[in-house]
Amino acid sequence: MIWAMLQRFGFLLVFGAFFGLFAAWNPVFLQGGNLLNVIEGSAVLMIIALGMTLIVATGGIDLSVGIALDFGAAFAVVAMKSYGMDWFGATCAGLIGGSVVGIFNAILVIGLRISPFLATLSTFFIGSSVQRIFTNGGGPISHRRMPEEFRNLALGDIYGVPTEAVIATVLVVVYFLILERSIWGRRIHAMGMQRSAAIVAGIQVNRILIMCFIAASVTCAVGGLIAAANIRMFTPLSGFSYLLDAIAAVFIGAALNARGRPSVLGTVAGVLFLSIVANGLNLMGLNFNTKDALQGIILVSALALAVAQQRARHNFAS
Amino acid sequence: MSRQSAFSLEGVTKKFPGVRALDKASLDVRVGEVHGLIGENGAGKSTVIKVLAGVYQPEEGLVKIGGKTLSQVTPDTVHAEGVRFIHQELHLVPHFTVTESVFLGQELSGRLGLDTKAMREDTEAFLHDVLGVDIPSNRLIRDLTTAERKLVQIARALIDDAAKVVVFDEPTAPLASDEIETVMSAIRRLKEQDIAILYVSHYLSEITDICDRVTVFRQGKTVGVFDNITNQSGGDLVYAMVGRDIADMFPAKVDRATSPGLEVVGLGDGVSFEDISLNVEKGEVLGIAGLIGSGREELIDTIYGLRKAQTGTFQLEGEPLTIKSAAQAVSAGIVLVPRDRRHDGLVLSMTVTENATLATLNQNASLGIENRRVARERTEAQIMALDIRPPNPDAVTRLLSGGNQQKVVLARWMAKAARVFIFDDPTVGVDVGAKSEIYQLIDDLATGGACVIVSSSDPVELQGICDRIAIMMRGKIIGELQTRHLSVDELVSAITGAKEIENSTYAD
Repeated sequence: MIWAMLQRFGFLLVFGAFFGLFAAWNPVFLQGGNLLNVIEGSAVLMIIALGMTLIVATGGIDLSVGIALDFGAAFAVVAMKSYGMDWFGATCAGLIGGSVVGIFNAILVIGLRISPFLATLSTFFIGSSVQRIFTNGGGPISHRRMPEEFRNLALGDIYGVPTEAVIATVLVVVYFLILERSIWGRRIHAMGMQRSAAIVAGIQVNRILIMCFIAASVTCAVGGLIAAANIRMFTPLSGFSYLLDAIAAVFIGAALNARGRPSVLGTVAGVLFLSIVANGLNLMGLNFNTKDALQGIILVSALALAVAQQRARHNFAS
Repeated sequence: MSRQSAFSLEGVTKKFPGVRALDKASLDVRVGEVHGLIGENGAGKSTVIKVLAGVYQPEEGLVKIGGKTLSQVTPDTVHAEGVRFIHQELHLVPHFTVTESVFLGQELSGRLGLDTKAMREDTEAFLHDVLGVDIPSNRLIRDLTTAERKLVQIARALIDDAAKVVVFDEPTAPLASDEIETVMSAIRRLKEQDIAILYVSHYLSEITDICDRVTVFRQGKTVGVFDNITNQSGGDLVYAMVGRDIADMFPAKVDRATSPGLEVVGLGDGVSFEDISLNVEKGEVLGIAGLIGSGREELIDTIYGLRKAQTGTFQLEGEPLTIKSAAQAVSAGIVLVPRDRRHDGLVLSMTVTENATLATLNQNASLGIENRRVARERTEAQIMALDIRPPNPDAVTRLLSGGNQQKVVLARWMAKAARVFIFDDPTVGVDVGAKSEIYQLIDDLATGGACVIVSSSDPVELQGICDRIAIMMRGKIIGELQTRHLSVDELVSAITGAKEIENSTYAD
């Protein structure tokens, strides 16, 4: 009985238990300001993870999300600094910079038929190198006198809600509608689950794949704009730090999904889980070196229970 | 001449959900004979091989080898008793040499690791002495002809000299006609060494050519054992194979008004078939018959844009048409019910509604956002119309039976209001009841003015539902038959090459 309950709500229970532990350990954890911080701080990861969700839903993976973020940031900063563009021009430049990465991925995957893993890995290598060459070895390009409007992408607020959180939320809604409610989402999931059946059903899988790679990289570029606005500079290769967290968030979400599929809401849960656990462990004042290990242990135990939960659900269904 | 039994199966029954794949079937193969096993698709041939191999555990029945009953039939015990299998697929690594392939997993070792010299000599000796061919042992597999690869595969199974029984499953399927004799003479040599051989094939001409005795399966039962096989036995075998009690499964043949439909001229893929011209009118059901390896499957894939055509043109209702992808075919109104519905037909983890609406998503959406209520209602109507069970639009298609899965694929294309329906082996793995419903649906489509192409490995099915049948053999259409006065026996004779087609109506 208890075991069955544990199986069915395992992930939530583990999450709840740690939530309680964090709250008990340090009252600051539960304060509105802290939780808002967590959400604001996870906005960029959320955006990157959305792009990743889209690619994983097609049946692939995108290891170049960080490159798209870097390109978004670089194009925008250079547009403002070297070409004196205003915030709007810089934003457009950043998005175009991101789309370059997506188009390159699409050429490798669809044109040359390289598997998404290897194709985006190549993009990652090439993109990293391009950044180092462009910055003479990886030095940041700072732009202290950024237009106020551009800086507000990260530092401003809309009716008291941080702008970056608003942007992330809007993107979550858009992604949810497209991937989970639209006919395109249905096609994306169909090809991700069973590509040959999708082809026989007359779905233009290549066209969809091209659109998805471009959309994902442009989305990641939005993350790059926010990151650049936040620190008023472009730091080469900074996108890499989001890659593993984004993959983790997508697959945590997939583990929670009834079909084991990547989903937008699952990814949101994955991102919040990662961010909240990281924040909670921070507030516990743990040794920096033990923190990662603890985070891993929490993740593994929560996922093990999520899998058990899925198995229980499956037995229940059949 | 009554030799002793090499192995036998007695009263074997094997059930799968919804079907009895084997129903008290028996089979007795004697030492030093080539024993043919024939039957239509689904008759239980492959199941019996898997029972003998220890892959399937039967519910009832005995497996005897060399006169003694095996208490446990597992792949290991069977191998220990000297039973070897030559599977239809070659499973050879292209970059390995002949020797490496023969000894893969059973390498000989000397004092200093692998004894490559001994392995090389053994390989060449075996190929020369036992199989009667000379293939250099250091040649790479990828440089061999298909027949030579088949011989390497045989050598690999028999090199340990412990074989008493060898099962050949469709050994000539991938071979060109002039290569067949190489493999056949190797099999004859094996027989002379008192090895019992079970020979499973669709090609009746080969069966009558090489087999001493033949067992015929139908619907999981042993329906005949023929002791004296001669070149004249073809007709009797076909009769036993087909049976006589199935005619009423099919809708009555009626004359339908026809008008120009899909025309294919000079189609070739450069590999499996060439210069194929077909014409199917609206209101007509055209059958395509052909054994495994005849290029029938590849032809269907090419017409649907899944394979690249090297030559050939299409016309639909008089208008020229390009088909380079399945998406193009579908938008032109040509749809496929594929042979492997679990792989190509359905997205198995999706529900009935999701699968049935996959090709018509636009119709149930506004501004790209799906209206799930409409999709569900439309699907419910189709579930009623096609009698899909369970009648639940939210059922996951993975859990449906074969016949109902096939109906979901059909529902998708009927929603699309297609003009040309291509059915590729539409009733494989479908139970008898659903079969006859699917035949009725195919008939209704033609009556409604659609062009219908049915490609099938089942001659009874082709004779029953088609108006005309094009016969393919080794990549070419060798003739066309009208089914109105055609018997299944005649059709099978034509497909298997037992008899040449006389009054060919094949027009160019």
